[in-house]
Amino acid sequence: MVKIGNIEINPTKIICLGRNYLDHIQETNAPIPTEPVFFVKTLNTLVTDNQPIIYPKILFENENLNRVDHEVELAFVIFQTCKNIKARFAFDYIQGYTIFLDITARSMQKNDRSIHLPWYRSKNFDTFGPIGPRIAPCSEIENPDDLVIQLKVNGVVKQLSNTKYMLFKIPEVLEYISRFITLKRGDIIATGTPSGIGSIIPGDVIEASIEKIGKITHEVILEED
Amino acid sequence: MIQIADQTINPTKIICVGTNYMDHIEETKLDKPKEPVLFPKTPNCLILDKDPIIYPKWLYNNRKYNRVDYEAELAFIVKEKCKYVSQDDAYEYILGFTVFNDVTARKMQAKDIVSKLPWFRSKSFDTFGPIGPVIKELNEIKDPHNLNIELRVNGDIKQSSDTKHLLFKVPELLEYISKFFTLEPGDIIATGTPAGIGPIHPGDLIEVSIEKIGILTNKVILEEEVN
Repeated sequence: MVKIGNIEINPTKIICLGRNYLDHIQETNAPIPTEPVFFVKTLNTLVTDNQPIIYPKILFENENLNRVDHEVELAFVIFQTCKNIKARFAFDYIQGYTIFLDITARSMQKNDRSIHLPWYRSKNFDTFGPIGPRIAPCSEIENPDDLVIQLKVNGVVKQLSNTKYMLFKIPEVLEYISRFITLKRGDIIATGTPSGIGSIIPGDVIEASIEKIGKITHEVILEED
Repeated sequence: MIQIADQTINPTKIICVGTNYMDHIEETKLDKPKEPVLFPKTPNCLILDKDPIIYPKWLYNNRKYNRVDYEAELAFIVKEKCKYVSQDDAYEYILGFTVFNDVTARKMQAKDIVSKLPWFRSKSFDTFGPIGPVIKELNEIKDPHNLNIELRVNGDIKQSSDTKHLLFKVPELLEYISKFFTLEPGDIIATGTPAGIGPIHPGDLIEVSIEKIGILTNKVILEEEVN
């Protein structure tokens, strides 16, 4: 159970898209996907607006693992149980939109990928999934494919794009994912990050904003012993 | 929320360990891991003893994807919220042990692994995580690393091993996993599968048995046409 603004949701899963903005695909030298790439974050990652992102000590103290990155994303929340949804009906199954930060232990993810291992552990440390500050209902956001999306670190703009550059749009994403898995009310789908990913370190203040939704602010702190 | 025999659990996550039996590592030609390999399954995959495993029609009808495999595994259930558990205290945080079948869309997984993509989609189709038939406490099974584990397809033995061949043992796994993630009551950890993995087909009857726990039986059926 997590309270986002004045709405409580009870997600059973968080599904994230990788490689869904062309500019981000280019910066990571990844191939352009022919179908959506998705992975999971688990519920232990969720924190809400103004809560700290905790930088794990086991990463900070290991020079092979001490790069942790921000990734700002538009997320949507599932309104009702659904499976095999057609794109044209997608919006009937969406409760609203919010901001999600897909915090990633980048060096660990690179190491794991280079030896063909899953993308799981690098994405799922506690607090690696800030969300909020509210769920903007579909009625407020007529076109989710035209929203300015931005991330600042200590006041400096690091990511600046528009959701119109998403490769797979929300209806396609929902159709695709719901071919695999039944989605439940409260489930969270994050739609991928634009270019400009970069590292965060303890002491940083991260501000992520999406037009018409709002802004979330998180300080990065080093995990205590 | 699922009820396994007389116990109701509310898992927030299912964490699976890959390549954790030497014989399975050899058959898959994967490298022996220096630390546990973890991947998730999502709760939509969970079904109980006697529920059908539904073979997705669009995998069945696609030659690139039409291999789906069974994987017999010993699983344990987390008893209370925990982080940074030490091996020595591990069993205090375990509610009990059960049988798990990590059903996997193998061709899809192989393709994703080659492309260095996540291992998620091939693992988490609805019904791809049969669990049960009971949760047995530590004192009922005595040593979780001395249990016969077997899987039969239509009565033929396909996997037959012993949990003593686990590369990373239960306490090590809990210590390792809880360094990364806070675990919650009801969370499920599946400890990996032994050698002998192979395909399932609609109509097959899959029985997974672990000594001192029980037999998990699930029939495979083809998904019906979506309206």
